[in-house]
Amino acid sequence: MERWGVSKLAIVLHGLAGAAILVALYMALVFAPTEATMGHVQRIFYWHVATAWVGFFAFFITLVASIAYLRTGRRRWDIVALSSVEIGLAFAVIMTVTGSLWAKPVWNTWWTWEPRLTTVAIMLLIYATYLLLRRVIEDPGRRARFAAVYGIAGFVSVPITFMAIRWWRTIHPVIFKSEGFDLTPAMLAALIVSVLAYSLLYISLLLLRTQLEFLSDEVAELRESLDE
Amino acid sequence: MTYLVAAYAVMWLITFIFVLSMAIRQRHLAAELEALKERLQETKRYGE
Repeated sequence: MERWGVSKLAIVLHGLAGAAILVALYMALVFAPTEATMGHVQRIFYWHVATAWVGFFAFFITLVASIAYLRTGRRRWDIVALSSVEIGLAFAVIMTVTGSLWAKPVWNTWWTWEPRLTTVAIMLLIYATYLLLRRVIEDPGRRARFAAVYGIAGFVSVPITFMAIRWWRTIHPVIFKSEGFDLTPAMLAALIVSVLAYSLLYISLLLLRTQLEFLSDEVAELRESLDE
Repeated sequence: MTYLVAAYAVMWLITFIFVLSMAIRQRHLAAELEALKERLQETKRYGE
């Protein structure tokens, strides 16, 4: 496979992600029944949960790639960790904004400092800081090692955010319970398709973002060799 | 319905901005790579 540029695998993956997103859109807007109490605004749920899942998963991939980098010292793992944080942060911001737009008509407020929202805000700050700190460390090796340690430590915020609605009293609903899902079969189907579609979009974006970083490395190497 | 439309609009806007920023970065890097390759060729020619 090419290190950057358009490969066949990338084209297939982007096509699959695009098609899956269209199907998920249909499932969320047409196929899923209208919720009795909240009405149409409840349809935000399918994308809100799907983006939350992808955000959490992206940060988990950063954790895995950071561990792999510390074990092997290979630049490719640092690239995966960085790329996954960028994508995860974009999805986490979407999750937060869509959650806020859902909260206004349902809770009558855009934001409240309850446990889930507070832990989400902390998680967003932790990963935004990851990107900021990478910019201030100039030495590439030191930057990658620091980022890997930070990527591992920062992941602590993810399970805490996920479990916040189970550990503390909160107004945020719990959908996934040990005894099953609090959804009708059609709603569950729409949710599963949305989660799969956004997962494909994540993989597609990760491929693009890592290729971009490889290209950036190539440019930096060439620039250095010319300056010598 | 307004909140539903706003949520979908925001979702796609953020996704679009993210993809666009990658496309812009890729275009800049590709242009820089080409310029550096040309410079390298010139340096080699000058060296010969």
